[in-house]
Amino acid sequence: MEHDEQQPSKAVDTEYEVIEPGHSYRSVTDHISAIVLTRKTPKTWLIGFGVSFMVLSLLLMSLGGLLVKGIGLWGVNQPVGWGFDIINFVWWIGIGHAGTLISAILLLLRQDWRTSINRFAEAMTLFAVACAGIYPVFHTGRPWLAYWLFPYPNTMGTWPQVLSPLVWDVFAVSTYATVSALFWYVGMIPDLATLRDRARAKGAKIFYGMLAMGWRGSARHWARYETASLLLAGLATPLVISVHTVVSFDFAVGIIPGWHATIFPPYFVAGAIFAGFAMVLTLSIPLRVFYKLEDFITNRHLDNMAKVMLATGLIVGYGYMMETFMAWYSGNPYESFLMKNRFSGPYMWFYWALITCNVLAPQILWWRRFRRNVTMLFVVSIIVSIGMWLERFIIIPVSLHRDFLPSSWGMYWPTSWDWMTFIGTLGLFASLMFIFLRLLPMISIFEMRTIVPPAEGRSKE
Amino acid sequence: MSDFHAAKGRLYGLMAEFDNRYDLLEAAKASYAAGYRKMDAFSPMPIHGLDEAIGFKDRAMPLLVLLGGVVGCLGGFGLMYFITVIAYPMNVGGRPHFSWPAYIPPTFETTILCAAFAAVFGMLALNGLPRPHHPVFSVKRFALASRDRFFLLIEARDPLFHVEATRQFLEAQHAKEVEEVER
Amino acid sequence: MTAERLSGMRNKALIAGAAALAVTAAGMAANPDQFWRSYLLGFLYWAGVPVGCLALLMLHHLVGGGWGIVIRRTLEAGTRTLPLVAVLILPVLMNIPRLYLWAQPDKVAHDELLKHKAPYLNTPFFLGRTAFYFAVWMALAWLLNKYSDGQEKSQSDGTWKPKLQLVSGLGLLLYGLTATFASVDWVMSLDPHWFSTIYGVMFMVGGALTAMSFVIVVMSRLVRSEPMAALMKPNHFHDLGNLMFAFVMLWAYVSFSQYLIIWSGNLPEEIPWYLHRFHGAWGYVAVALLLFHFALPFVLLLLRTIKRKAQVLAAVAIGMLIMRLVDMAWVVTPSFHGEHISLHWMDVTAPVGIGGLWVAFFLTQLSRRTLEPVEAHLLEGGH
Repeated sequence: MEHDEQQPSKAVDTEYEVIEPGHSYRSVTDHISAIVLTRKTPKTWLIGFGVSFMVLSLLLMSLGGLLVKGIGLWGVNQPVGWGFDIINFVWWIGIGHAGTLISAILLLLRQDWRTSINRFAEAMTLFAVACAGIYPVFHTGRPWLAYWLFPYPNTMGTWPQVLSPLVWDVFAVSTYATVSALFWYVGMIPDLATLRDRARAKGAKIFYGMLAMGWRGSARHWARYETASLLLAGLATPLVISVHTVVSFDFAVGIIPGWHATIFPPYFVAGAIFAGFAMVLTLSIPLRVFYKLEDFITNRHLDNMAKVMLATGLIVGYGYMMETFMAWYSGNPYESFLMKNRFSGPYMWFYWALITCNVLAPQILWWRRFRRNVTMLFVVSIIVSIGMWLERFIIIPVSLHRDFLPSSWGMYWPTSWDWMTFIGTLGLFASLMFIFLRLLPMISIFEMRTIVPPAEGRSKE
Repeated sequence: MSDFHAAKGRLYGLMAEFDNRYDLLEAAKASYAAGYRKMDAFSPMPIHGLDEAIGFKDRAMPLLVLLGGVVGCLGGFGLMYFITVIAYPMNVGGRPHFSWPAYIPPTFETTILCAAFAAVFGMLALNGLPRPHHPVFSVKRFALASRDRFFLLIEARDPLFHVEATRQFLEAQHAKEVEEVER
Repeated sequence: MTAERLSGMRNKALIAGAAALAVTAAGMAANPDQFWRSYLLGFLYWAGVPVGCLALLMLHHLVGGGWGIVIRRTLEAGTRTLPLVAVLILPVLMNIPRLYLWAQPDKVAHDELLKHKAPYLNTPFFLGRTAFYFAVWMALAWLLNKYSDGQEKSQSDGTWKPKLQLVSGLGLLLYGLTATFASVDWVMSLDPHWFSTIYGVMFMVGGALTAMSFVIVVMSRLVRSEPMAALMKPNHFHDLGNLMFAFVMLWAYVSFSQYLIIWSGNLPEEIPWYLHRFHGAWGYVAVALLLFHFALPFVLLLLRTIKRKAQVLAAVAIGMLIMRLVDMAWVVTPSFHGEHISLHWMDVTAPVGIGGLWVAFFLTQLSRRTLEPVEAHLLEGGH
């Protein structure tokens, strides 16, 4: 559907390109709610969910093993005390950030192309945060005592160490999870009312009716609702930046070469958005085919997301460049050794693969031809996800495995338990995503109504 | 006349249905101009200016959120101060107990958290939600208010309300249908 | 109307600038070292405006939006002042050893770290890099102004818009690199032992904030007469105010991040930079920055009523411009004097003098072309 590519006067029409012509309030409502309200569960969904659930059981097995044996099952040891747990924590948290970015920052910037992708992007945020949360909780070794991380008066007479960035992380990630869940749910209330009114089965009526909390679409409700949404967006925007900033502080406030760099906060935030948009593309490209949503998730959406990916990818590349330059400029022998070790040490292939995935591959997005080529975009988005995973591998174990003293050097290789946990969280993410697609509207119906061209039923201007 | 009062007692109001948002907006403005005050408008999506048309003005939300933010900010900073200076003072690399730079990240998070709570729960509370049942749901066609129809309700408790006169007034506003809403 | 007003303002700026420069020149005889330090401060402050204008202009071409359409002429005029900035840096380049420690061979000879950095920090390479930065910026400014002219004359976006976007996309990339290394060369190397990887970002954000505040002040004057009086609505100022707010937040974010990381690490090679800047009277300046460069504008710019009134917003922007100079002084001057505060009167007169010249040149550039924005037809009716 490559239309209006060359028309010069199309500069003003941004409103109408984000939804294909010919849609009305009714068609938008019926099309999106039908995906959820259809009685028969599609076979493809069953297969997809079944496979995801099997992968999820890997996670259950690996965590079960962990609880029985302890974290000795993992590959971490001296000198590399942080391995897959932190790599995957940061990777998942980063992926989640695009969801908040799309729903909050683009709302503030009045970019209405976000409308059709914000709902599942927010769902992606929640599920990614859920996957991320597993790692810090379980890497404590005694997850049943994870509540010790919170400040509360206790019989031990102790309090969390506020000067530690890991405690900041507890505040940041739990706030992020809470606010994302609230934002997502509040955004869904009017659509839940639509489902309540459209559902035929009694069970569905009750289910959606409870969730909709009696929403009536009153003008008073809408007024407060819109104010609340804008305010939440205004809060979520600095929040999402702060979360990955705090994650970057986990490393940067320490003095390990490779971690202690002032560029870390903005560079981590850009990396998170980079990875997150890659994941949104990875999900939305197959989704719009399976559920026939090409009218709502148009090529313009893919094009815009590709541009965001290109921009944030360049910022990430800027981060690599500044780190390398300052490693030499600082004249600090440990910093320059670290860089040499990245370029030509035992993990050099990881580094060069990272540069290929994160810096070189996205450059093809400068060409519109590739941005509009869906297959190409899908491939690039997966390459970027791999690249951002490698980046965390380079930052975490590769900075640790060469200690200040050569006598404490070592290597880090993940064990099969590590891999099972990681692959298992992919299964958890996919399973949650499938459940979401089946039970809740994946596109914000009421917001789609606001971008339907107001052609219908107008008697007088 | 007693008949009318009886009807008014069990009547919640009159509901007019429109098939587009412009008619609803104009009808709402006309009703307000005609002196009706106890009314409400319903639409499948937010309509710019509709709240003002029915005379609704509410500045409570931003204030609530600001309040939440201030409480979260002071509370968070106070908590960090309490932990590091009063309850559990510790020497961390020779830094002072009152190490304010380290308080900023958690304080920021508590600020956002409390402000977001204020926004969400404030919005729900002011809107009177959750409220599973409401008289307007008794109108069958009201289910379309969450799809593609637009409704204007004038409540029976409005002093100007009169079943026949109000019905005629609403019908004159291009209403597709006017229904009685029972209590 | 507007033309007269502009030439009136230009004359005032020129007189103020010339007077301040004359006074500063008198100071040069008494204390040449201080003269060049103050001159550098003034240069760095004002160079941030056209370079920031360039960045904002390219950003607008990429993301669009009504805010950019109404200020596009101002931004373009700002970028056309780059040749003057290139001339203004020449005196600095003639006094490199006076200003920069690494250019003094006797100091380098006894300093292992400076010897290590000599392949980068040496006079010929420094001059070459500076020439390169200006070449890139002026080429971008020239292309953007040329295509903008073309777009205006042909009255169609078809051919010109993609060109503007391509130049802006590649241009922002080049801008990021050149602005970063310019900040490393011109400012960070004043403390040749010290380093921070976020430094370039801090300067880019600071420059964008200075430019944004300057543009708001200019627009608040232009909106008093046609054609901008009819075109600019309160919602445009609202948008500009929001952008300024965003830059204030970004500045605070970047500055605090750098501080927290260096404070926590507490390494002897990094922390002196802050020790100098928190010691004695500089500590009060740091508190003033926290209060008036962040807290006060943060609160004021949260208020919708302020952002929608052009003249009130402009007052906030003027305050911001002053605080930007204080910030620049806080970053630059302790490099010369260490922890002893030594704010010389020339630190005020030199920036005013250079500013007067620059503003006069800017106003000349602004009045050279119509103020009517290129894409005025895209502006919606404001509310």
